[in-house]
Amino acid sequence: MEAEALVTSLRNQLVDLLGQDTVVTEPHDHEPYCRDWHGDMTSAAVAVLRPRDTGEVAAAVRACRTLDLDIVAQGGNTGLVLGALPDRPERQVVLSLERMRHIRSIDEADFSAIVEAGCVLEELKLGLEERGLFFPLTLGAQGSCRIGGNVSTNAGGVNVLRYGMTRELVLGLEVVLADGSVWDGLSTLRKDNRGIDLKQLFIGAEGTLGIITAVAIKLSPLPERIETALLGVGDLHTAIALYRHARRACCDLVSAFEFMPPSAFTLAREAQPDLPLPIAIDYPAYVLIEISSSGLIDAKQLMEGLLEQAMEESLVLDGVIATSQAQARQLWAIREGMNEGQALRGPHLRTDVSVPLSRLAAFVAEIGAELDDALPQCLAVAYGHVGDGNVHLNVLPPAGATLAERHTLIEQAKKMINFRLDHYHGSFSAEHGIGRLKRDEFEHWISPVHRRLLEALKRAIDPEYRLNPGCQLPPITAR
Amino acid sequence: MKVLVAIKRVIDYNVKIRVKSDHSDVDLTNVKMAMNPFCEIAVEEAVRLKEKGVATEVVVVTIGPKAAQEQLRTALALGADRAIHVETDLRVESLGAARALAKIVEEQQPGLVILGKQAIDTDNNQTGQMLAALTGLPQGTFASEVAVEDGRLRVTREIDGGLETLELTLPAIVTTDLRLNEPRYAKLPDIMKAKKKPLEVRTPADLGVELASRIKLLKVEPPAERQAGIKVGSVDELIDKLKNEAKVIS
Ligand SMILES: Cc1cc2nc3c(=O)[nH]c(=O)nc-3n(C[C@H](O)[C@H](O)[C@H](O)COP(=O)(O)OP(=O)(O)OC[C@H]3O[C@@H](n4cnc5c(N)ncnc54)[C@H](O)[C@@H]3O)c2cc1C
Ligand SMILES: Cc1cc2nc3c(=O)[nH]c(=O)nc-3n(C[C@H](O)[C@H](O)[C@H](O)COP(=O)(O)OP(=O)(O)OC[C@H]3O[C@@H](n4cnc5c(N)ncnc54)[C@H](O)[C@@H]3O)c2cc1C
Repeated sequence: MEAEALVTSLRNQLVDLLGQDTVVTEPHDHEPYCRDWHGDMTSAAVAVLRPRDTGEVAAAVRACRTLDLDIVAQGGNTGLVLGALPDRPERQVVLSLERMRHIRSIDEADFSAIVEAGCVLEELKLGLEERGLFFPLTLGAQGSCRIGGNVSTNAGGVNVLRYGMTRELVLGLEVVLADGSVWDGLSTLRKDNRGIDLKQLFIGAEGTLGIITAVAIKLSPLPERIETALLGVGDLHTAIALYRHARRACCDLVSAFEFMPPSAFTLAREAQPDLPLPIAIDYPAYVLIEISSSGLIDAKQLMEGLLEQAMEESLVLDGVIATSQAQARQLWAIREGMNEGQALRGPHLRTDVSVPLSRLAAFVAEIGAELDDALPQCLAVAYGHVGDGNVHLNVLPPAGATLAERHTLIEQAKKMINFRLDHYHGSFSAEHGIGRLKRDEFEHWISPVHRRLLEALKRAIDPEYRLNPGCQLPPITAR
Repeated sequence: MKVLVAIKRVIDYNVKIRVKSDHSDVDLTNVKMAMNPFCEIAVEEAVRLKEKGVATEVVVVTIGPKAAQEQLRTALALGADRAIHVETDLRVESLGAARALAKIVEEQQPGLVILGKQAIDTDNNQTGQMLAALTGLPQGTFASEVAVEDGRLRVTREIDGGLETLELTLPAIVTTDLRLNEPRYAKLPDIMKAKKKPLEVRTPADLGVELASRIKLLKVEPPAERQAGIKVGSVDELIDKLKNEAKVIS
């Protein structure tokens, strides 16, 4: 009871300091901010703060300092590692950037824009496309995730092989620091070697070093022609050989190269029953490839030429090429439907691993055989951004499994995968970050020197450990 | 039975249409083009008739610029046997297209002609009907089902309030509606094979038809931008806005 009274009093004090409009006080209204995307985990917070501009973010941070509250920044809450989920409800607030969605400027000559952290990725992309500009970050969650969240997780997505991760698309940042001061690093310069590049600290920091309020982003010309094909291939090994070949044959214009097992069709159709099947579904593996071009380069010719040769060399067994954007979308719907299909099958192990591309096929074959052997009752699926050496190696327990059984199977599979991953010098988090979900794996992996560096950084920039404590490293109560 | 299918190269229907700054026309520079969706359905239906053994040959024809050969090749990849390209850079209207098609029908003597019910660029919905008038052949428009039985054609049409089934003598003209079928994807081996299938290029002059436009396009205007909605904080605010801003209640 006493704790509850304390929380109520903190809520009231936040309202006094920041105004009714900024503070969501009703616990009922906290619900969408206090659960993870899959709906597997829920939490609570003292309050949800919804500032409208950078000044209000700074004021919110100062208010939290005054009241000795910790701050969990949140964008679209689509992160997959519980980074935006509070874990100490009695002393944490969620600070949502959702109201900060202005585009401050677009410069067509510089191919850059300055946008606020709360801009929804897809809205941003569509707005830019109307002006012939392209922001290449493309991922399944783009209808909900926000640019500040993308930067904070250094998100990847399907176009990484051509345009790089979010880090490569960021020219500058505006950040509110833990003491409420604002660092204006919103340069749109491509070249700027005035000392250490501070913005890099906040990219991929998952809200532990500062609150990103605006981002200067790097744009590209909008590709005029996009060709999309779905291919049946013999195995992952030939898929990777095809990718190598495609990069050379298409002057490095491959913009996506996704790998899927045949179970992709079943899973996608569990989520979307009327999804058409454009190709026979009994090939050992599938590749979704996209080539995009502008100017005089004819993507269609490139694609057809590439695939003709690849068929002659048996790198490709069969395939379909989309003849319209509508067909291209249907092909992508299979890839995207896989995620939803798996979610419908209940709690399962989701991983996001990378190994050097040259060793990816061997890794997946080896761990696949080990999993089949040890956990024959589970369905293991490997799919994803293979062009980047990145796969999601997920393990789905059988339908009838209880929650406890699922938990045991998940832990067992995770151990096996991480063990094998070590041998291949891979990463247990290629894209999604550490958050709260992968903290144990992170702790286990980092060297003492690595840890010391991270702790020194944290102490220097957020000495009171106010920003997202418990994310990335275990919470350290410094005060 | 020989089936003739007419197809048109149009702006891809997922593309957001831009109007030229002088409002003279739709801006087509660097815009993704594709086969008109209703024409895709027409090709699919013809190929299905061939797979059922009803059709013996599928011939696709288009009237348009050189680039339209891309769509002919797509139709060949989807299963058509040969293609005829009536090449012109003029903006072809329905009547011009119907006249050129009437000549092709005369030459080719198909047992069945399938067209899309309309092209999504100009939405005229009249080429098939005009072709029927020019050739004197019976027509079944807006087909949602097509079957050949005992040398006659049964066409089911979606009309207000239900379905209408017509029986036509052959040869006949059919225009396709959206629910006739779900077009297939072009398969790789077929795309390769399509490159080697015959494609005959003709000119309006050698067909003896005049395609010059009889209609002048005066102006193209984009639809008014829809304003973004807002969230109101309370019922009172909503009522206030309906009263004083939208002025729909008093
Ligand atoms: C003819 C000419 C053309 C050039 N053109 C360009 C150009 O086009 N673009 C451009 O960016 N620069 C250019 N430069 C400058 C450029 O910065 C250097 O040539 C180069 O990058 C520095 O490399 P270096 O090994 O000579 O470093 P040094 O000159 O030896 O050192 C440069 C700095 O790096 C530090 N440093 C060196 N090695 C290490 C290390 N291993 N670990 C930690 N710190 C280290 C040094 O303490 C010093 O502060 C040019 C220079 C010349 C002379
Ligand atoms: C269907 C689906 C597909 C996905 N596909 C991909 C993919 O292909 N590639 C990929 O990399 N990821 C993918 N993701 C996960 C991805 O990380 C997130 O979608 C996205 O980058 C997170 O953005 P968000 O706005 O939702 O951030 P949130 O989930 O709100 O937050 C993520 C982290 O960033 C912090 N944060 C958020 N905003 C700020 C800010 N303004 N300042 C400081 N810290 C902040 C949070 O505290 C948290 O630690 C996918 C997720 C889903 C649900």
